[in-house]
Amino acid sequence: MDQGVVDLSRLQFALTALYHFQFVPLTLGMTFLLAAMETVYVITGKPIYKEMTQFWGKLFGINFAIGVATGLTMEFEFGTNWSMYSHFMGDVFGAPLAIEGMMAFFLESTFVGLMFFGWNRLSRGGHLAVTYLVALGSNLSALWILVANGFMQDPVGATFNPDTMRMEFTDFAALVFSDDAQAKFVHTTIAGFVTGAMFVMGISAYYMLRRQHREFAARSFRMAALFGVISSLAVVTLGDALGRLDYLVQPTKLAAMEGIWHTTTPPAAPWTAFAIPDDVAQKNYAEINIPFVLGPLVAHSFSTAIPGIIDLEQKARVNTVRGIKAVMALHQYSEDKDPAALATFKQYEQDMGYGFLAQRYAPDQDLSKLTADNTPAVLDRAARDTIPNVFVEFWGFRMMVACGFAFVLVFAFGAYFSLRNEIEKHPWLLRASMWAIPLPIIACEYGWIVAENGRQPWTVYGWLPTYMSASSHSVGYMIFSLIGFVLLYSLFIAAELYLMFKFARLGPTDHAAPKPLEGGGPLTFSRPGYADKSWQ
Amino acid sequence: MTRLLQIAALAVVLVFALLFAVVAGDYAPWYFAWMVGTVMIILIAAAGAVLFETQEAGRADGRDPSF
Repeated sequence: MDQGVVDLSRLQFALTALYHFQFVPLTLGMTFLLAAMETVYVITGKPIYKEMTQFWGKLFGINFAIGVATGLTMEFEFGTNWSMYSHFMGDVFGAPLAIEGMMAFFLESTFVGLMFFGWNRLSRGGHLAVTYLVALGSNLSALWILVANGFMQDPVGATFNPDTMRMEFTDFAALVFSDDAQAKFVHTTIAGFVTGAMFVMGISAYYMLRRQHREFAARSFRMAALFGVISSLAVVTLGDALGRLDYLVQPTKLAAMEGIWHTTTPPAAPWTAFAIPDDVAQKNYAEINIPFVLGPLVAHSFSTAIPGIIDLEQKARVNTVRGIKAVMALHQYSEDKDPAALATFKQYEQDMGYGFLAQRYAPDQDLSKLTADNTPAVLDRAARDTIPNVFVEFWGFRMMVACGFAFVLVFAFGAYFSLRNEIEKHPWLLRASMWAIPLPIIACEYGWIVAENGRQPWTVYGWLPTYMSASSHSVGYMIFSLIGFVLLYSLFIAAELYLMFKFARLGPTDHAAPKPLEGGGPLTFSRPGYADKSWQ
Repeated sequence: MTRLLQIAALAVVLVFALLFAVVAGDYAPWYFAWMVGTVMIILIAAAGAVLFETQEAGRADGRDPSF
């Protein structure tokens, strides 16, 4: 396999996923926020909440349409660019993707039409049910995608069949209810809630700064701030849960995230707040450490040592020796169906992936050509490969976490001042809310980078290396298709930004006229005739 | 009779919810947390809007609108 093709395949998937993921979180969050707004409309009967649902729903619709278009190509990429991966785990990966298409996506797509065009055709309760079904459908889409991704991170519920050379289901429930799938689903969807809340809060802040649509903006800001403050706290909580899971099932990812080169000594093991990790020298520069924090943070214990990268590499060396035996036995079994070879394979099966890693560096990628002279070098290179890029992982993680805590602060201040009806007295917070609109999307992108870069060098952690997973295209084909995707997706992003800015600036209908600010006293949002049907 | 049926239906829902909580709590704690948490987030946002209207009504009546 040409490494250039593998790298280009990775780059293409990374770019399409990063583009797609600029739309997904907003969809996940906006749907439930719209449902909350419409719930208030149904309960109170006040038309302004219907108008809020319709206006924010219009912006959601722009994002939804373009987001769906960017997502469709990704499923095809599994077949075109990752054919070996699709063969190896298609039995496992295909099921959740099919369920996502048949159940969640159809549910979401069917009801989204009713949501947009059914206002005058459905009863209030009926339309509200449709809005909730759209929200449920979009989040169920995320569930099945993340169940599939959960298997790549923590392969449970399937075993390798040496006769078919692929992973096959043994326990569907184990796959769906795996800890990784669960925590990742909640973390990702709630991060979407944060994105949706920041989007509504930021645009509402823009209106308030411009003294436009103030009744509309104040209510939207209030709902988004409360929606966001709980969501941002939940995201931080789930982030901690995912970190602990990584410590348990993906120790290389965790060590890279925290820049831990040497196994720690509890209880004083420090958490590294700042460092410049050097992957080649395997050390950190300019470290700023906080003692006694790492153990409780990662393992929830003061007495547990956290394995470091250098020790994990040594452990991987042992795994690789066993993995070479597994792969050689597998080759023999595939040729002559020798029961002894099968027995040997079964003995070392759990380390098969490490044998594949070593195969990359064996002469002619043939493990039978390993000798006493060349084996140590092959083992060293294979073991070194098991560590993801530490610099990217370390800083990707910190950027995401910093954004997460910033969101808690912005939402908390927003909710507090909104509840006191003093939000317009704090233009700094309105400006911060407005400029923070893209930050949750950036944090989601960093989160995706941390999750997937940290999984390297595997497509299926511990079983299938990335270098073996790609299709055997030419470099020219990959470059051509990559340029095509970049141009097309950039066009999508430009269209999204143009439409979002256009419709956000236009604002909701009937309230375009600026309302003059009167003195510095408390602001009144109510206007006669506006909330004509009171719930009280 | 209608009221009795309503109470019976709500009792069935309650029993189902309790059983669901027990099973989901054992096998899918994070999924369960998501369901409960999402409902809570929606309710808190909606409650904030209802409180807003109450504050506005209080302001119109000349009462202190602050929370």
